Amino acid sequence: MSKYDTFIGLEIHIQLLTETKIFCNCKSNFGDEPNSNVCPVCLGYPGVLPALNEEAVKLSYIVCRAMNCDLAKEGVFERKNYFYPDLTKNYQISQFEKPFGRNGYFEYESGDEIKKIRFHEIHLEEDAGKMIHEGDRSYCDYNRAGTCLLEIVTEPEFKEPQEAEDFLQAFRRAVRHLGVCDGNMDEGSMRCDANISLNLPGKGLGTKAEVKNVNSSRFVKKALQYERKRQEKILKSGGTVIQETRLWDEQRSVTESMRTKEQAHDYRYFPEPDLPPFRPDEAFLQIVEEAQIELPLARKQRFMEQYKLTEVQAEWVCEEKQSADFFEKVVSLGADAVTTAKWLMGNIAKELNARNIAKTDLGTDSCQLTEKRLAELFDLLSNNKIHAKIAVQTLQIIFDEDKNPTNIVKENGWEQSAEDEGELENIVKQILADNPKVVEQIKGGDQKPRGFIVGKVMAATKGTANPQSVQALITKLIEG
Amino acid sequence: MKTEELLITAAQAQLALPAEEEGRLAAAVTEMLDYFAKMSEVDVENLEPTTHALIRDNALRADNSNPNNKFNNNQEALIERAPESNNNFIIIPNVL
Repeated sequence: MSKYDTFIGLEIHIQLLTETKIFCNCKSNFGDEPNSNVCPVCLGYPGVLPALNEEAVKLSYIVCRAMNCDLAKEGVFERKNYFYPDLTKNYQISQFEKPFGRNGYFEYESGDEIKKIRFHEIHLEEDAGKMIHEGDRSYCDYNRAGTCLLEIVTEPEFKEPQEAEDFLQAFRRAVRHLGVCDGNMDEGSMRCDANISLNLPGKGLGTKAEVKNVNSSRFVKKALQYERKRQEKILKSGGTVIQETRLWDEQRSVTESMRTKEQAHDYRYFPEPDLPPFRPDEAFLQIVEEAQIELPLARKQRFMEQYKLTEVQAEWVCEEKQSADFFEKVVSLGADAVTTAKWLMGNIAKELNARNIAKTDLGTDSCQLTEKRLAELFDLLSNNKIHAKIAVQTLQIIFDEDKNPTNIVKENGWEQSAEDEGELENIVKQILADNPKVVEQIKGGDQKPRGFIVGKVMAATKGTANPQSVQALITKLIEG
Repeated sequence: MKTEELLITAAQAQLALPAEEEGRLAAAVTEMLDYFAKMSEVDVENLEPTTHALIRDNALRADNSNPNNKFNNNQEALIERAPESNNNFIIIPNVL
């Protein structure tokens, strides 16, 4: 083990799922034509007045509450002054002295343990624009400028790069369940900067380096692993780590100094005179309270406890809020929980995949398989109206033809006659009588020809017979 | 103000200072700062800071994009005002 303690802190930025930007009514949309969602406010024209988006404030407080923060009785926006053309005003409107949330925490799974990370603060700010650098020119696109951005700052209390990765995945899942962010790290709607320092045990935080430009939770881990080794090497050789910002180079799997002039940042924060402080009233806090949901980890644990799902099943079902809701609705309609989970992970997942239907579409109009239809299908199955193979075929037709399982089974004449044991027994008897040689073989201990008989029975019943019942009848009729 | 601080301030404001002006300007800025320093003589002990004298209530906007906003249909005019633009991008000297 290393002789140094490691201290890792994360700054996560999530773009809130609002229709419009934070201070103007331009659309907040990824992937549109450059500068198509801009106006004088988000382009920083002189004399414009920002107008705060109510939904952005609401979603922010919902996150702060879900992350167990002290909620601000007064949230104040401030100007963070810096010169860089990704923001045209020469300042970013952010929060500093009075962020919406402070002192929160979040529980996540890492390995077999439940770990807890504390949050220093959560604040709302505007996102910056994007730039493409090419030759001696930089091309500026301000579509993203002014997008509602929530920054979550953890305490530097992760001890291992692996914990940072596990936390990020759990946190991403939580904000998706809360419906506040789509968590898409590829498109930058969730981003993460990491800081890391090493020090001798008992000496507290060391000099940290900040790592930027990491666009997946796995790369956050890799960048931190690299950075830990780099700092350890410096310290071991008696050197000192420089406080700096480093960029993760995905191709080469290294971090590199940005080589900017290391001037201490002085953002000269001061309260934004154009925006009054926000003070939540009782009604607002009530809305925030009502928007709280069971977070994915708690839900997963409950599903294992209450529905006796395995960890793998509970994990799969609770990955998205939509799939977890779907599962519980089906079970509430009378379906067996474990069967439902197995089908979701197996047959249903296969059909969703083949049809390009997302897990998050479960329970929405984009998915032909409704909770009611699935419960109905299980009902047919458990009452022996159909057997498993027919159920899978019925499932496919539900997706293909958008019909109810009962109707599908009727239309295709798939009602299993198995419950009519007498009729099935007669069919088996007849087929055994027609194939005396095969019967002799089975009597002689050769089990292989059983399949032949089952196949004949299935053909005679157009596939509706339950193969297990047929097997049982063969045994009964031949061996007495 | 120390000349050193003046140079940092000038660099942040993207201003080029002729070397022969440094001493004179440092003195002038110091004089300005001294003027502001007078404010620190006021006793503000036990006073709540006032950041917004006139606005008392929350000021919020509903989260609706407004297709009729005249600016939302006039992005080109806004982009064209930049010294250089092309294909809807605003173009500036490379700042990387």
